[in-house]
Amino acid sequence: MANDCKIGVFLCECGRRIAPLVDIDQLKEKLEADPLISYVGVEPFSCLAPGMAGLKKAIADNGLDRVVVAGCESRVMLHKFERELADSGLEAGQIDMVNLRGHVAQVSDLSPEEKAAKGFKLIKALAAGLETLALTAHEKVEFKGPAMILGGGIATYSAAQELSRRGIECIVAVATDEWEDEIRMLHEHYPGERHYYDRLEAIMKDVDASPLVRRITVGELASMTGRTGDYHVTFSDPMGGPPRIYEVGAVIAALDGQMLNQGSDFGHDGRNVICHTEAEELLWTLGPPEGKVVFWLNDYEAGHPEYSYLSCRAAWSMARYIRERSPLTQVTMLHHHQMAIPLSAGERAASRKLGIKWIPYDGALRPTVQAGFVTYCDPESHVEHELPWDKLVLSPRRSVGQEATKVAHILGLEHQEGAFLEERKQRVRPEQVGRQEAFLAGSARYPCDLHESLRQGRRAAAKTAEMISKAQAGELYAPRMVCVVDQSKCIGCGLCKEICDCGGIEPVEGPGGNIPRHVDPMVCTGGGTCAAACPYHALTIQNNTSDQREARVSTLAQTLDPDEVMAFGCAWGGLAAADNAGVKGMAYDPRLYMLQVSCIGQLDPSVLARAFLDGANSLLLIGCPPEDCHHSFGLDHTWSRVNLMKKLLGLCGFDRRRIALAHADLNRPEDYIRTVNSFIKSMAELGPIERTPENREKLAGLYATVNNPRVRWVLGATLRRPWEDVYPGNQRNALAFDRDMMGVVSEEFIRARVANLLKEQARPFQLRELAAALHEDEKPLMDSLREMVGEGVVGRMHKDGVAHYVMR
Amino acid sequence: MLSLTIDGKKVEAEAGWSLLDTARQHGIDIPTLCYHEAVEPFGACRLCVVELKQGNNSRLVASCVYPAEEGLEVFTSSEKVNSVRRWILEMLLSECPASREIREMAGQYGVNTTRFEVKDPEEQCILCGLCVRACAQVVGANAISTVGRGAQKEIGSPYLVPGEDCVACGTCVTVCPTGAMGARFERVRGVPSVIMARPGK
Repeated sequence: MANDCKIGVFLCECGRRIAPLVDIDQLKEKLEADPLISYVGVEPFSCLAPGMAGLKKAIADNGLDRVVVAGCESRVMLHKFERELADSGLEAGQIDMVNLRGHVAQVSDLSPEEKAAKGFKLIKALAAGLETLALTAHEKVEFKGPAMILGGGIATYSAAQELSRRGIECIVAVATDEWEDEIRMLHEHYPGERHYYDRLEAIMKDVDASPLVRRITVGELASMTGRTGDYHVTFSDPMGGPPRIYEVGAVIAALDGQMLNQGSDFGHDGRNVICHTEAEELLWTLGPPEGKVVFWLNDYEAGHPEYSYLSCRAAWSMARYIRERSPLTQVTMLHHHQMAIPLSAGERAASRKLGIKWIPYDGALRPTVQAGFVTYCDPESHVEHELPWDKLVLSPRRSVGQEATKVAHILGLEHQEGAFLEERKQRVRPEQVGRQEAFLAGSARYPCDLHESLRQGRRAAAKTAEMISKAQAGELYAPRMVCVVDQSKCIGCGLCKEICDCGGIEPVEGPGGNIPRHVDPMVCTGGGTCAAACPYHALTIQNNTSDQREARVSTLAQTLDPDEVMAFGCAWGGLAAADNAGVKGMAYDPRLYMLQVSCIGQLDPSVLARAFLDGANSLLLIGCPPEDCHHSFGLDHTWSRVNLMKKLLGLCGFDRRRIALAHADLNRPEDYIRTVNSFIKSMAELGPIERTPENREKLAGLYATVNNPRVRWVLGATLRRPWEDVYPGNQRNALAFDRDMMGVVSEEFIRARVANLLKEQARPFQLRELAAALHEDEKPLMDSLREMVGEGVVGRMHKDGVAHYVMR
Repeated sequence: MLSLTIDGKKVEAEAGWSLLDTARQHGIDIPTLCYHEAVEPFGACRLCVVELKQGNNSRLVASCVYPAEEGLEVFTSSEKVNSVRRWILEMLLSECPASREIREMAGQYGVNTTRFEVKDPEEQCILCGLCVRACAQVVGANAISTVGRGAQKEIGSPYLVPGEDCVACGTCVTVCPTGAMGARFERVRGVPSVIMARPGK
């Protein structure tokens, strides 16, 4: 390869845990003889201070710019090597690790020489991957424009206050001109919170006075495009003018949920049986009611006992207000006997003093509303009582609301119908993703009171401010291994956006159409199943590309013995289980050669095909347990890719069992060992693929087929989407779909083989000759040829009255 | 360069190396439990004690945190050191009798039974906090910590319920020196939504 780099390998002895078990001298000799590797060092402990000093010295002396450490678990130790060797000019991606201790030394009873041979193959494969690495510059994230707070929720104000307090400029996009209006309407979202309004007003005045806050009055949010640091936000004009576009660096969404009234099954009529929002309106327009007021905290009956805390606080606040102003009104709180009353000692005392009655009812019997009475069952005596009322106040129904749903949709927040917007956190290491969360605040996120909503606003603002300050100081970098789009290859099909749920892939500008995509590097988690799905290879994970993985499998496949098995393990499942088996020293079949990926979904079918093409006889992919993939649906997508590979192996005339997907829980290494042993056993029964010229030709056809955009497109259609809830994907019309896919795959397989042959031989072929060379019937070949001629891929000429075909 | 002797062997060290670093670099093995190369040393388990001779006096220090100094005379397996290790292992044996790793290590020092009271025969955890430090320093997730105090102290996520911060990477399970974290991992990351069958179950 053209890549001019110097690769160093460091072997650890790790006390007595590697050195006597693996013949280090022999391993060193073999590595030194390899032209790929410039330097080999041996350290008692590479990871300790003395060893690290040795590494740094060797790197400086030999000008090494790629390093393989053959020691222990990369999941645990790689971070330290990256941190320590940063001074030596090595960055993430330039250092790789082989778990010589846990995957080779400790887990079998092979002789030290045999273990050295195994270690050599693994190290060489990683070195080949590093050689192919095309290092990209560290991407700095800049913020173009101020922060914007939109959505119109009340958390807008606390967020704006926090931002201006931290010296960050911001635009506040709201629907009304006056903040007094917002306070007037606030009880519709947060009933029973009047006692908090003074503080809220102080915040609003503070925001109003701040020179850093610009207030704009806008209509509905229309669209948001761009990425972290550079967004275009479009609103409709409230007066019906042309849409208004703002360029902002960061977006905080303040969204309030909606309060709905209970249905008639609780007797709600809007006059005498009312909900909190109506009660609050009544209190402030007509004043406290007279007679008997009963607050029934019916959240248990409404199916949401978890909201009873909020309802009870709001009801208590209103009850107190009524009793303080209208001493003749009788106020009773009727609550489920299991509900914890969320009052402080002082509030309980105040409640007693005000004569507010708290009556528990047995939750086993649902209270019944009648005209003027509620019947309930006493939890102690089990006698049913009647409680008279003139006004019955019910808890509200809390929902996310249409407004908030709409905004969330435009902001690209993944959202299930009717559910609150609380995000599902990506279960990846913090260092893997630049921005941990979408900045969202308010009761649309999850039901909360005003205080919590404002707190969320402050939190979102603080996090945003932290990011902006870091960017202003020039210290904010995107993670190294994230997806990038080669926009010259991208046709804007949007498949990647559909299957990725990081929310990091956006059109370059405007929605829809054949517009190339780009990736927000601060949101991408680097899972890479989107990259493996791209029909045109336009999407790649930078510093961790499919080319690197192909180089790795190619090198490993060439060195493997016929009975040895290549495997891939994902860092969360297979690899972790293998590491833990190594820590425990559990023995398993030593013929397994595991390469690691950070998600099994990173494996492009071309990588899988490359393994077979270059000499592997079988391939085991070990991912997470089902539904446990840490990167969207990488595991499910791999299922589909393995399915494609099985079809192609079948077409080649090989056993479909040669490739398999398996699942491993990292905490159950014994299960992992059963997986490995059983697969290797069945592969030993199959024997190797004979590398005859005929088989080689078929494998080359297989490799070309998985890189065919049409096949990749059909495969892309089968991949599980984030909204599908079935593993491993859409199983409706499974048979019909599978047959269609098989049709496409076999067509393209033949065409790929014809193209390979014509290209290789570079001479005109007759149909008969082609059929003989490819060992196929003439009929399907004829069909393929006719199409290929029609498309202009293949030229047809006549010699002596017989059609000859040649590659154009 | 500093020069010192370990077990009578003249060795050299750089300023900033610990005694453990220096000994391991020169092929001298010191047993450890709470120590892991990926995180800062902590000195919790005291198993890595070594004896420093100063004239007629000697004292015991934890080698993982004690820096190498010029002219030190270090003994890593003198009678005094081994006696202390046997005591520690005997106590650990009563603390976490279920740990295979602890039993094996104690066996190597001839400790097979314990005179201390065994409170929980199923316990494996020695509360060294290595998992907590790994979660903070290696992963950066800070998902686990010690919960409770004194005799009630244990390792877990806040309130001992599966937390959002855990990314289920399993670093804690891999670094755990006694195999205890495997048993409590489910309580930290949560039970997987799909549980795969086990043979015979």
